[in-house]
Amino acid sequence: MRLIIRDDAELASSYVANYIIDRIKHFNPTAAHPFVLGLPTGSSPLGVYKILVQKYKAGEISFEHVVTFNMDEYVGIPRDHPESYHSFMWKNFFSHVNVKPHNVHILDGNAANLEAECVQYEEKIKAAGGIDLFLGGIGEDGHIAFNEPGSSLASRTRVKTLAYDTILANSRFFDNDVEKVPRMALTVGVQTVLEAREVVVIILGARKALALQKCVEQGVNHMWTLSSLQLHPHPMIVVDEDATLELQVKTVKYFKSIELVARAQGFEQILPSTIRTGQTPIPKTVVEEIASPTIISSPTILQPQPVTSRLLRASPATEYPVRSVSPDLVPDRMADRVGVPDLTRRLTPNPQELHRNSSSADLVPDRMAERVKGVPDITRRLTPNPPEQQQRVASVGA
Amino acid sequence: MPHSLPSSPKASPKNGANGITKFTNCRLLKGDQLVDEDLWVNSVTGKIVRSQAAFFDDSILPDETINLGGRILSPGFIECQLNGAFGFNFSSLVEPAEYAKKVRYVNKQMVSTGVTSYVPTITSQTSELYKRALPFLGPSGHIQVAEDGAESLGAHCEGPFLSPTKNGIHNVDVLRQAQSFDDLVDCYGIENLTAEYPGEPPRVKMITAAPELGQMTNLIPELTSRGIIYSIGHSEATYEEASTAVAAGSTMITHLFNAMRPLHHRNPGIFGPPRPYFGIISDGEHLHPTTIKIAFNAHPEGFILVTDAMHLVGLPDGTYQWTNGDCTSHIVKKGPKLILEGSDRIAGRHIISSITLIECVNNFLNWTGASIPQALKAVTSTPAAMLGVQGLKGCLDDGADADLVVLSEVQNGNRTELVVDETWKFGSKIFSA
Repeated sequence: MRLIIRDDAELASSYVANYIIDRIKHFNPTAAHPFVLGLPTGSSPLGVYKILVQKYKAGEISFEHVVTFNMDEYVGIPRDHPESYHSFMWKNFFSHVNVKPHNVHILDGNAANLEAECVQYEEKIKAAGGIDLFLGGIGEDGHIAFNEPGSSLASRTRVKTLAYDTILANSRFFDNDVEKVPRMALTVGVQTVLEAREVVVIILGARKALALQKCVEQGVNHMWTLSSLQLHPHPMIVVDEDATLELQVKTVKYFKSIELVARAQGFEQILPSTIRTGQTPIPKTVVEEIASPTIISSPTILQPQPVTSRLLRASPATEYPVRSVSPDLVPDRMADRVGVPDLTRRLTPNPQELHRNSSSADLVPDRMAERVKGVPDITRRLTPNPPEQQQRVASVGA
Repeated sequence: MPHSLPSSPKASPKNGANGITKFTNCRLLKGDQLVDEDLWVNSVTGKIVRSQAAFFDDSILPDETINLGGRILSPGFIECQLNGAFGFNFSSLVEPAEYAKKVRYVNKQMVSTGVTSYVPTITSQTSELYKRALPFLGPSGHIQVAEDGAESLGAHCEGPFLSPTKNGIHNVDVLRQAQSFDDLVDCYGIENLTAEYPGEPPRVKMITAAPELGQMTNLIPELTSRGIIYSIGHSEATYEEASTAVAAGSTMITHLFNAMRPLHHRNPGIFGPPRPYFGIISDGEHLHPTTIKIAFNAHPEGFILVTDAMHLVGLPDGTYQWTNGDCTSHIVKKGPKLILEGSDRIAGRHIISSITLIECVNNFLNWTGASIPQALKAVTSTPAAMLGVQGLKGCLDDGADADLVVLSEVQNGNRTELVVDETWKFGSKIFSA
C-alpha cells in the first residue's frame, strides 16, 4: 500500500489530481483504447475535481477518451435533484471538461428494475475493459462507495440500504431533515472496487482519522470496508496531516520514509508498466451465460467464485487476477455437467412395461451402446493384426 | 395581423449541428449574485437549455463553446417605458406600412443598447392614433425570430387619462377622464384591450392613468382581469387615493417622483401605499442621485430603471424638429440631454430623456453604490416580474427565453461602467460591438 501524507487538504487534492493526470497522459488513451476512470462524489474529492477542471481549462489534460464510472447514486430522488450524484458530477466536473456524454456512466437510481440496473452496470464495466483507476473517498465509518459497515467484502454492484450514520451525515445536504435523505442507494460493491487495476483513495480531515487508522493499521474487516484495500495489489491512500491523527507515529514515519527514500533513489513509487500503459489487449467482454434473460439473479450469485480463498491468498501483484475475465478454472468432471442420471431408472423399458405399452412405444432416450447385446470385448481386434494377416497371406500363397 | 413579419425563417442549424451554444468562463446574473457558471442556449428552441438533462438524456454537447473571458452574462434588458428611438416616435400618425417598417427598424436597432424586449409607450394622444398605432405594438415575441431584434411585450398607454396639472410634456388638450370602461374602449379600441386569442395577452400591456380622476380607480379590476397592468402616474393622488388604487389592483407607479405630488412628511401622496413596483429615470435630470438612492433603499424589490426616452435616442447630437399634438418646436440634443428650444418651462422643469438603459444602469451603479447584480436586476428580473413574464424573460433559468447581453466592466476614471459587447436573442447573436 502507498500512503501519501501531505500537509493539508489542498496539497493532498493536488497530489491526487496530478497523479490522475499523469496516469491518463502516460496511458495515452485513444477512442479504441480509452482510459477508464472510476469516480466518487462527496466532499473529499471536491478539491480534486476543482484542480482537474483547472488543468483541463489550462489545456494540460483532455478527457476526450476517458470513460467514467461513478460509484453510487441515491435511489428515489429525481435525477436532476440538486443533491443527486448526477447533479454533483455535472456541477463539479462534467459540465466543465470535455468528457463525452456517451462515455459517462452513473447508476440510475430511478430505474424500473434496480437489480437489473446493477447487473447491467457490472456488464458495462466489463465491456469497457475494466476500470484502470478507481478514485474513492470514505465516510467516517470507513465505508467506500455506499458499502456500509457490515457489507460483504465480496459484494458487487447492488441496492444498498444506508446506515443511520450515513443518513445523519448526509442530512446536511437535505435541509438537515433526516426524513428527506433517501433510505437506499445503488452502489458498486467492494469487489467491484477491488477489481480496478488501481485504487486511489483520498481521505481528508480529523473526522476521518479513526477510519484511516482502522483501514491501515487493523486487519481486513467488513465493519471498515475500506480495509479491504489491503488485499489490492496497487492501492494508494492520499491523506492530509489531520487524517493521520489516530495513526501510530511509527506508521506515519514509515510511509513518509518510503516516499523520501524512493525520491532520494531517484524513482517514484510506480506501477508495473502494463498497468500504467494498459497496452495489453483489451479483455474480451464475457457474456455471462444467463439461463434466461428475463430472470434477474443477484449479481453475487451470478458469478459464483471462491472469492474468500482468492482474497486471502497472498498473491504477487503480477499474478493478481484483477478482473475475472473468464470463470476460474475449477477442475470438474465433464460428466458432472450432464444432469445426474437417475441410476435406478431403467433406460429401456422392462419387459412388463414393454408389454403394457406395446401399443405406443415411447421414445426413451438411451445410449446407443447399450442396445448392443453384451459388452464388446475391447481387447479383441475386429481386423486381423499385421502378423496374423501376413500369416494368412502366406498360407493362401502356399 | 400587422405584426412586423419575420424577416427570415427561424434559424435552423446545418447538418448534424444542434444549435446549442455554451458560454463558459463567464459571470452569470443569478438573483443577487454574479456566479461563475456555464450557460447553454439553443437557437432552435430559442431557450436556455437545461444542460444537465441535455447531457445525460440526449448525450448532447454544444456546437460551439464561447469563452467570455470572465465577462458578465446578463439576461437581455427589459425597457418598460420607451416612447420611441432611432428617429421614430411610437406616437406618430403615419401610414400603416410605414409605421410597421419603422417599428421593425427600431426593433433591430434597439439590441445595440442591450434591450431585448420592451414596452413601446404611447404618450397622451387622440383616440385615432391609438387605434392606428396599437395594432403594430402588440406582443411580438411568439414568432421567435432572433434577427428581428428586440421584441415588444405589449404596448404601454401613458395617458390620456391623466391629471391636467401633472401633464409633464403631454398635450393637455387631449387629456380626458373615464367614467366607465366604455370610455377606455372608446379611447383605445376594444380590439386592443382584448386578447386576440384566449390566453394571449392583449396588445395593450400597461396603462398609466391618474386614479383620482373620474371612475378610474373602480375600473382597475376590469383592466387587471384582462391582463393589463394599471400603473399610477401623472397624478395628483393623495396617499389615500393611491392606497385605494393599489388595493384595487394597481401594481406599478410610472416614473416615481416625476409628474406627481412631491413627497410631503404629512402627506406622503403616492409614496405611501404598500409596495408596488415603480419606474425610476436615472438620467441625472429627472431625479437627484440621492432621491434615487432613497427610493432604492425603500423598496429594492420594486425598483425598475426606465429611460422614458424619446425617439431621438440613438441619433447624433443636433437640433431636431418635434411635433407634439398640434404644436411644433425644436429640440436640441446634446448627449443624453434634450432641451426644448425657446421654452424656459420645459427646459427648466420638464426634461425629456434620450438616455439609453445601459447609461441608466451605469448612473445608478455609480450614484448609489449598488452592486452590479442589484443594478442589473432593475432592468431584468424586476421588470419581468412587474410585467408578469418572470421565468420567461429577465432571468437565466432553464427554459427561459435565451435573450442575453454580454457586458464588460470598464473603469472610466473613478466610475465603473458596463459596456454592451454582445446581444443575443432567442439563442442567436444579433449584435456585436
